Amino acid sequence: MTVGKLDVPSILSKPGKPVVGSLGHLVIFLWSLGVILLTQLRAGFLMAGICVAFLAVIYPSALRRILRPRWLILLGILLIISVLFGGGKPDREVWGFLYSTVNIMAGVKMTLSAIVILLAADGLAASMDITEVAGVFERAGLQGLGFSLGVAANQLPNLRQSSTNAWHSLRMRGGMRAQWWRGLQLLLLTILTNALRRSEDIVLAAEARAFRPDRSRTAPLRIGRLDWWLIPVGVISLAGVILVL
Amino acid sequence: MKFTTRELVTMAVFGALWGVVEISMGSVLHAIKIPLTGLALTAIGLLVALIGRLFVPRRGSTFFIGVIATVLKLFSIGNIIIGPMIGILAEALVAELVLDIFSKPSQLSFILAIAAGALWTFIQPFVTGLLIFGRTLLPIWLDTVDQGSRLFGLGSQAALWIVLALVVLYLVVGAIGGWLAWKLGHLVTFRLKGQAPAAV
Repeated sequence: MTVGKLDVPSILSKPGKPVVGSLGHLVIFLWSLGVILLTQLRAGFLMAGICVAFLAVIYPSALRRILRPRWLILLGILLIISVLFGGGKPDREVWGFLYSTVNIMAGVKMTLSAIVILLAADGLAASMDITEVAGVFERAGLQGLGFSLGVAANQLPNLRQSSTNAWHSLRMRGGMRAQWWRGLQLLLLTILTNALRRSEDIVLAAEARAFRPDRSRTAPLRIGRLDWWLIPVGVISLAGVILVL
Repeated sequence: MKFTTRELVTMAVFGALWGVVEISMGSVLHAIKIPLTGLALTAIGLLVALIGRLFVPRRGSTFFIGVIATVLKLFSIGNIIIGPMIGILAEALVAELVLDIFSKPSQLSFILAIAAGALWTFIQPFVTGLLIFGRTLLPIWLDTVDQGSRLFGLGSQAALWIVLALVVLYLVVGAIGGWLAWKLGHLVTFRLKGQAPAAV
């Protein structure tokens, strides 16, 4: 678990108010998705390339993860499938192998799009705290999500431990041998009952501290120096992409 | 959507359980490349979320549980997990929409909700592939037919039959999940309180 662990990108990590805050990272994520969703094939190739370069500069750690062999192989497979099975008609030949330039263009654009999404998602996840994500959802109407996420994140290790214990207890008593279906039901029943019993304690603790969801403060968002500028720049550039390309 | 403290904690517990399923089982199943991993995870995750619906029988509670599981998954391994995240959120939304058609939780609504969520797992590669990754439908269709062909032992010429069989499989597994969620939800309530759930 890396809950709450911040992986602040190198060029954005300066003491004091950050250059780009949570709002800015969210804008960058949505802008990246918007650019690759809205651009057509030829222009999309260029825009996806620009996006990759931009994201690589602000999220170097995300780029390092993409460059791992596992991801490179997956991206390579994506490109090869597109080149081999794309809808374009073959118009060139190299060493007796017929290929379509349309398929290659589409494959490269598709791979670049995948890289943009992976970089943007990874960058966002690494730059925002779990409470800030809750704050975003709370502002979108899911009141109390911050509190629920806090409870859920704290419960996660207990639930894992409790589930493992229930599984081992059942297995050691031979519960999965003769009647595995009943054993599975009993396992689920035990895990759920234990979890709900524990939730009763949390409710009592929260109420003892006079917690009320309607009176609680929404989790704050870190606002960076450039955040309020990034919103209009993102909207204008996306509008430009739609109109011009 | 305004929930009480008790409801928020209950949804947190069920969201965390769905998160545990996704983080632990999901990682293992994806790593050892078991076929239909997505379907299994969807059925189990939605089973947990729908039992939660019995304890918080209000509009939006299933989606709320899904959002918690999604955020936990997002921060679970510090890695790139956009597919499962979209999956969890969309499945929760689909199940929520189906449950909202009914005035109160029932066995039929549970069966339909998980079946619809499971069907989304089948449709998701086409939607995300086309809209987000910019892939054409043909490679995704070929992947699906190839997977079904290996699973049912049919030749890839019978593509339509394979896809139909896959759709039926997803619906049946989802329906079993719904039936089990209803049954287990009642068993849990009886064990905890010795009475039927608040939703019934």
